[in-house]
Amino acid sequence: MQYWINHNGVQSGPVDVDGIKEMGLTSAAYVWHEGLTDWVKITQLPELQGMYEMLEPVAEPAVTGQPLETQPAATQPAPAQQPQINYEQLATTEPCPPTNLVWAIITTVLCCIPSGIVAIFYALKVSNKYREGDIEGAKRASETGAWWCIASIILGIIAMPLSYLMMMAGAS
Amino acid sequence: MRRTLVVLLVLAALLVIGAVYYALDPSASGLFPRCVFLSMTGYKCPGCGSQRAIHALLHGDVLGAFKYNALLLVAVPWIILCLYAESRRVRNPRLYARLNAPLLIWLFLAMVLIWWLLRNIFNW
Repeated sequence: MQYWINHNGVQSGPVDVDGIKEMGLTSAAYVWHEGLTDWVKITQLPELQGMYEMLEPVAEPAVTGQPLETQPAATQPAPAQQPQINYEQLATTEPCPPTNLVWAIITTVLCCIPSGIVAIFYALKVSNKYREGDIEGAKRASETGAWWCIASIILGIIAMPLSYLMMMAGAS
Repeated sequence: MRRTLVVLLVLAALLVIGAVYYALDPSASGLFPRCVFLSMTGYKCPGCGSQRAIHALLHGDVLGAFKYNALLLVAVPWIILCLYAESRRVRNPRLYARLNAPLLIWLFLAMVLIWWLLRNIFNW
């Protein structure tokens, strides 16, 4: 299983379980893997137990029934920082789906059918959508781009014997 | 482990292909496939000349490679850099993100399209 890690706002991954052990994470880290709809606290995944340093549980700011007037905001002690999780931001910390850029470039330069250019266009689309926060759109573009790469390679392979036929036809 | 095996197989295949392209000159030998796009439409595709360019590159003839297909000279380091970034994505996610940023992909796309247009106008 491959995991993506968000530790103190720094994202990394994919790593496997052994990799997580070496990362020196704390219980404040968030983890995501394929199949999870959202990031979860590392403490919520039983298979990762003991692979991170346990931080002292942060005390919940006590909710008291005291009237607010007696405690002016300025003198009120700042509530202990709870690791607040910004879901909008986290949506963009899911790793970018593959842009297939390498394959797109290879098929453009090496296959004689210029369909690799479409694959480059889709690589651009993946990157754009991902940065707009549209993960689903990026995934769709990534898949379409991958099909264009595969189609380009197949067309290139089909075209090879065709080129010999044309050469022979030209020679005769 | 599986990844290492795949990398080794790919490297071995590249070595064999490289040896063929080193030993045989695509502009002299009839063994190499010609561009179907060129034979059908009469227009060069962005990849035309890349076989001859690879042969020239393998012989250290950078200028010759540039004349056959200038795009290939840009694409090869680009591909190597992208593959490197992909293999280091865990340790260096920033490099990967930068190489796959919209701006750089745009740049490459524009380069390919302009190259395609210009080479057909000026017969490069």
